[in-house]
Amino acid sequence: MKNFKSLLVLFSLVSFAAFSFACASEDDSASTASSGSTLEQVLERGTLKCGVNDNLTGFGVVTPSGAFEGFDIDFCKAVAAAVLGDSSKVEYTPTTASNRFEALGSGEIDLLIRNTTWTASRDRELAQDFTVATFYDGQGMMVYADSGYNSIDDMEGATVCVLQGTTTELNLDDRFTGTGMSYTPLTFETNDPLQAAFEEKRCDGWTTDKSGLASKRAEFPESAGGPSALKVLPETLSKEPLGPLTRDNDSEFYDVVQWVVFGMMQAEESGISSSNVAQMAANPSNPGMARLLGASFEGGEVQDFSFGIPKDFMQKVISQVGNYGEVYDRHLVPLGLERAGSLNAQWTEGGLIYAPPFR
Amino acid sequence: MRNFFYSTMQWSRLQRNRNLAIQGVFLFFVIIFGLYLIFQAFELEISLSHFSSRAGFGLSHTFLTDYTSNDSRWNAYFTGVINTIRVCLVAILLTTILGTIMGVARLSKNFLISRIAWIYVEVLRNTPLLIQIIFWQIIFLQLPHISKAITFGSTSAISNRGILLPWMSTNTNGQLWLIFMGIIALASLSLSYFFNKREDKTGKRASILGFSISGNLLGILIFGLIGVITFFAFGQPLSLDFPLIHQNTKGTWLQSGGFELSPEFSAILFALVIYTGTFITEIVRGSIQALSKGQTEAAQAIGLSNYQVTSLVVLPQALRSIIPPLTNQYLNLTKNSSLAVVIAYPDLFMVSRTIMNNSGHALPVFFLILFTYLTLSLFISIVMNLINRRVTRIGT
Repeated sequence: MKNFKSLLVLFSLVSFAAFSFACASEDDSASTASSGSTLEQVLERGTLKCGVNDNLTGFGVVTPSGAFEGFDIDFCKAVAAAVLGDSSKVEYTPTTASNRFEALGSGEIDLLIRNTTWTASRDRELAQDFTVATFYDGQGMMVYADSGYNSIDDMEGATVCVLQGTTTELNLDDRFTGTGMSYTPLTFETNDPLQAAFEEKRCDGWTTDKSGLASKRAEFPESAGGPSALKVLPETLSKEPLGPLTRDNDSEFYDVVQWVVFGMMQAEESGISSSNVAQMAANPSNPGMARLLGASFEGGEVQDFSFGIPKDFMQKVISQVGNYGEVYDRHLVPLGLERAGSLNAQWTEGGLIYAPPFR
Repeated sequence: MRNFFYSTMQWSRLQRNRNLAIQGVFLFFVIIFGLYLIFQAFELEISLSHFSSRAGFGLSHTFLTDYTSNDSRWNAYFTGVINTIRVCLVAILLTTILGTIMGVARLSKNFLISRIAWIYVEVLRNTPLLIQIIFWQIIFLQLPHISKAITFGSTSAISNRGILLPWMSTNTNGQLWLIFMGIIALASLSLSYFFNKREDKTGKRASILGFSISGNLLGILIFGLIGVITFFAFGQPLSLDFPLIHQNTKGTWLQSGGFELSPEFSAILFALVIYTGTFITEIVRGSIQALSKGQTEAAQAIGLSNYQVTSLVVLPQALRSIIPPLTNQYLNLTKNSSLAVVIAYPDLFMVSRTIMNNSGHALPVFFLILFTYLTLSLFISIVMNLINRRVTRIGT
């Protein structure tokens, strides 16, 4: 019996040691889990696996009926419409802020669209590619509408609620100490106690990404005054471009995602929307529009960009999902994120939404 | 080859030899595993050199230090340590008082009093501390907004930005005077001690102008007299500092002066005091009940009042069995104070987590946190052991 026990101990120790060595070499194999082009895999599978947020009103949220909806969700739908011809062929995977990059790296999802900021370290160190910014976010400051603040410069001595350990906290300090103003940061670990404190006016301001502020403002309870009791100051404290990500070294799929988004931006610029796309495709008013929609201009040959998907992919995207402006108006305008005058306006109107030419 | 196999079989026949072989293999793997851990550890960066760089974040509670975001991470860290010590020190003091009162009340013959103490213990001991902390935060946030603060003349103000009380402000003379008075306090204490000892031994009391006077009173008199004289001699170094609430030109409400009890500090303090108090109540009750009934009866027989029975006979003896479990509660309180992070009180844990996030060096910072809590706990243990040694020596 004693012998048996020691054998057992020995066995468990050996397996433990083997396990620890196995763990040590695991990270080398993680990124090579997927082989072959993602585009081929998606076409073969017949569905697009999209990693999204399921808890941010306006960007990605689960409705009471169980469907996903939001600004980011619509770009998943657009890619599915372009590649598979049907915007409903998407498998949504809710991801958290901490596991999203692993989910993409391991091949669990094909595409990550989860209000993710484009930074150098993420682009390089995480071995993932940012395709294009779909939304230019930035850190903002929300205050009570009756406070009389019109700019952060008015907030000398104010108390500001902020989440702990974020770049937001550091940007906030840079802004105030940089202009020689005093302030008191009230640093919370999670959002719920922070909102409780803000509702009781324990703090004068609440700072985080402007999209987040708009989302929180839209949901602000009526008991505390509702959305109209709050306003977001126009100033932006940091650059936070959000957009879809694909895996590194996956150019085919990367190009498809990138040009689907560009196509939606170009469609808005050219005045093509979901309501008039069919008639525009039947009778394009100029060669540029014909190239974008994959249609023939006055009987000429149809331009093929060799994306590996049908030539008329933009027709499907726009008829099923809409152009960039439609998607924006559908999800972000209800949050109070006004487009006019912001970075997310078309370049022709002074914004940064600019698609390279379809040529 | 066959010969070798045969002899091995022979050797393994013995139970002792087989055990030896198994232990040898076991040792081999332990050594390999140990080496693996050591090599892994060498690859980690465990220096704290990044602590001398600029912190870059603000803190809402800076007590005793003048921390700004321009200071180093070390300064931020020490501000956090001071915040932890501050809340623990006050909480330990208050929870001991609360626990003792409730422990005695628990045994009161008055039905109402003993029931109140019983309900206090059973309700608050059996709900999670984290929830109590958040509960107190919400309570303090329900106080009126600063624009509608409850004020008592201009002496103090209560709002959900903090409870402001009058406090003393000192000038440069004031600090000198405080140091001077500290020395005087020590001197008069030792004077009292000397006269009390003499009275115990010889029965002789100190006398001033023919009045016989006890050592304690003498000390207090001397301390008070010198205090009043020097207060004026130093040119009134202390003045009362009344809190002030006002609005600046942009409409921001500001509070200045006085002593500020912020809602966050108050919430964590209340929660720790009241939660730990329940355990101390039970410790006090248990220790009193463990005392032989004859002690109380004898004390009553010689005509002591109820208060005297408790304060002179029961509690001093109960103290012997109270101190060791009390030490545990003090340690628990100190460790529980790290929950302050949920209500935005910048204690040591919260500040170091922020530093960890900003620097990306998690492991060395964690070692520092563990080391700091260990130091605090060991300090409390040492102090309590000294007290324990003193208490157990009396009357034995």
